[in-house]
Amino acid sequence: MSPALSRRTFLRVGATAAGGLWVACRVGGPTPESGASSFEPNAFVRIDPDGTVTITAKNPEIGQGVKTALPMIVAEELDVDWAAVRVEQADEDRARYGAQYAGGSNSVVENWEALRRAGATARLLLLEAGARRLGVDAARCETDSGRVLHRESGRSLGYGELASDAAALPAPADAPLKEPGRFRLLGKRVGGVDNASVVTGRPLFGFDRRVPGMRFAAIRRPESFGAEVASYREEAALAVPGVRQVVRIEGRGKPTELLPGVAVLADDTWAAFRGRDALDVTWTDPGERADGASLGRRLRALVAGPGKRLRDDGDVDAAMRAPARTLDAYYEVPFLAHATLEPQNCTADVRADRCEVWAPTQDAIDARALAAEVAGCPTERVILHMTRVGGGFGRRLFVDYVAEAVALSKAAGAPVQVVWSREDDFAHDYYRPAGGYRMRAALAPDGSPLAWHKHAATTSRYLFRGNREHPEGSEVFPDAPPAGLLPNVRVEYTAVETRVPTGAWRAPGHNANAFVDGAFLDEVAAAAGSDVVELLLRLLAEPRELPYDDHGGPTWSTARLRRVLEIAADRAGWGRALPGGRALGAAAYFTFGSYVAEVAEVSLDGSGAPRVHRVVAAVDCGLVVNRSGAEAQIEGGVLDGLGAALYGRVEIANGAAVPTNFDRYRLLRLDEAPDVAVHFVEGSSEPGRVGEIGLPPVAAAVANAVHAAGGSRVRRLPCGRVSDTGV
Amino acid sequence: MAEFEIVVNGAARRVDAPPDMPLLWVLRDRLGLTGTKYGCGIAECGACTVLIDGEAARSCVVPVGEVAERRVTTIEGLSSDGSHPLQRAWVEHDVPQCGYCQAGQIMAAAALLASTPDPDDRAIDAALSGNLCRCGAYVRIRKAVRAAARGAAR
Repeated sequence: MSPALSRRTFLRVGATAAGGLWVACRVGGPTPESGASSFEPNAFVRIDPDGTVTITAKNPEIGQGVKTALPMIVAEELDVDWAAVRVEQADEDRARYGAQYAGGSNSVVENWEALRRAGATARLLLLEAGARRLGVDAARCETDSGRVLHRESGRSLGYGELASDAAALPAPADAPLKEPGRFRLLGKRVGGVDNASVVTGRPLFGFDRRVPGMRFAAIRRPESFGAEVASYREEAALAVPGVRQVVRIEGRGKPTELLPGVAVLADDTWAAFRGRDALDVTWTDPGERADGASLGRRLRALVAGPGKRLRDDGDVDAAMRAPARTLDAYYEVPFLAHATLEPQNCTADVRADRCEVWAPTQDAIDARALAAEVAGCPTERVILHMTRVGGGFGRRLFVDYVAEAVALSKAAGAPVQVVWSREDDFAHDYYRPAGGYRMRAALAPDGSPLAWHKHAATTSRYLFRGNREHPEGSEVFPDAPPAGLLPNVRVEYTAVETRVPTGAWRAPGHNANAFVDGAFLDEVAAAAGSDVVELLLRLLAEPRELPYDDHGGPTWSTARLRRVLEIAADRAGWGRALPGGRALGAAAYFTFGSYVAEVAEVSLDGSGAPRVHRVVAAVDCGLVVNRSGAEAQIEGGVLDGLGAALYGRVEIANGAAVPTNFDRYRLLRLDEAPDVAVHFVEGSSEPGRVGEIGLPPVAAAVANAVHAAGGSRVRRLPCGRVSDTGV
Repeated sequence: MAEFEIVVNGAARRVDAPPDMPLLWVLRDRLGLTGTKYGCGIAECGACTVLIDGEAARSCVVPVGEVAERRVTTIEGLSSDGSHPLQRAWVEHDVPQCGYCQAGQIMAAAALLASTPDPDDRAIDAALSGNLCRCGAYVRIRKAVRAAARGAAR
């Protein structure tokens, strides 16, 4: 029996010019019966007469592995050998592929059914074509490794031989999908499809794009957030050998779209950087000049008072009045930079009749739309190529650098590659919001937690984008546990408006809240004379689905969270005595519909700074599509979260980010990277989200281990050695 | 501007460039060898690592004037077909996530294995800790270097 199919999924089948078969699958839109033709295909399979199977990768590859994982889903249902599959990256073409972005860890979940159907439909057509050619009943045939087999007669035909016959057949309405138990490719370890090109240095990235006649552009952007160009002198820049032109960029008013600035166009990147350094630009005074220290004081003052009440279960005030014990703590997280190792860049070639763009972007649809606006041409005239992306982490959901490249190519009448220096990248990021969190709890005389009160104040990223109605969006999660597990829970929020740009940063909101909740829960457990694993397992004892009104909802399961915590605790040897001053800390968290528990093994050096030796992660993300890729996302998420927890902080002073590079904004290094053991909970038939879930729990696990190792409570990040953070 | 002859991946190349132009930009923008990456410009991230006379160097801070007549090896020249033990180990262990830092990681590892064919973890850490990986592929980088060392030693 095949899983239920959405009635809104449709397929189109046809012949390729070379006598092959293609299948496109669309999700949503009107039904074929209505006669409308504006459907949104979201997969594309091609089988050539020589047997070559080409599967299109529709979404941006930012290192999360979707260029491999999405085609694997098609290949599974198509019944072809993975080694025989060629993967091609799609251009932006919403009409054909539907949504094309990398965000919310959504790619596999959103495309799962449509891609299975695309593969299954192609397979069924080939099966039918094979049966006809062999003169037998299709019900007596099967498929295996790119062939149609008739076992009774021992005859078989390759898909390539059948491609043109299959293309002439009517598309079946309801191709059967495999039972997940019969998957042969999904769940296996499959290497990234671009690996061979990566290790030989092939030009895959946006930065590697070369277009005949192109110029390289470096831009002087506002010296403080909100400033405009008052005046500039270009003579010194033009005197730099290799510099061709200086162009003023008018901003678009929205700092998320295009910043004002002055650009230097040159024959090579070095000349562009040197020319830019030689520019003499005066800026307007933007008025407000944010300062990190005063912003920090303001966050702390705000959460001491009341905020917008997002949840209020039971009677928190009464519980706080007559307890055996209350706790009251202040937590703080800093602005973080994305620091994608490939700095922002984009190449554009604007002509009279069209605009071609090569963009390392997480949002191809936005990139194409903004390119069209800036170029002043219809979207259909924009060709948007998605390059491989050297890291996203949320930064490239904004496409300001695309607007820059298009504006400059238009002004120069030549192809232009905009290149950001590392300093540019740190100075004009859309930072993870800074936040202050007042946490209170009340314990009953027997130590059981009675009440939980959280008031979060952050420099809201929704507010930065102009959303005044719901500035709390993804800044705090009122349904996150221990909400639902305790009788009295209050969650409040206060937004702080500032010109400091903020945006999505891997596991937005969760990257801060998981630390705050997980570390404070450890304080509560300690106050109750328990430990955080024991306390959480007790709170999660009763299996139930609790409401969750946010991404990954509509409910979360206490049993699934309990299960990952049990596994992580067991594999890490929770409760055992460790040698050499080492100690364990644990945290469990629900992100985007998936469940992760992590246990960190930590010791403290002479200065009290943590050294993390090992992290054990237990993960329930549903069915695992690519075991190697999913495991890499957890390993990478843990190390990403660890690096941010130890060292990540962007300093804001005088209305700007303090100039920095990797000498002062430290990333985790190889010699600090612990082993990461990843355990997946098996048995699901549907995949969940993977790309961001490994990150949130690690900061709390480390903070809790620091305390267990004899250190003081970590309530403020970053918590690494001060001299290593560069401040 | 001045004219330099540098030997890149075994071939003599003439480039016309200011002597203080970093080798990184000569490789990328003059010679079309974009496998070597820009990450920081101050020798802090290692993405631009190449071999100069067999030793690992951060090409973003090496003026082209200093490499005249010297042998430069980039990722494109490590092997033409990905057959170097490190390249094979990187594929075998599915090391790359975004992949942007990996050319630099591999070149730093190549210099290590050339001088220390069977490095212990401490030696691997010492040789590669100047190569940042923002995706956190470190667990696999370490495994792949070990595997390549073992494979090459066989």
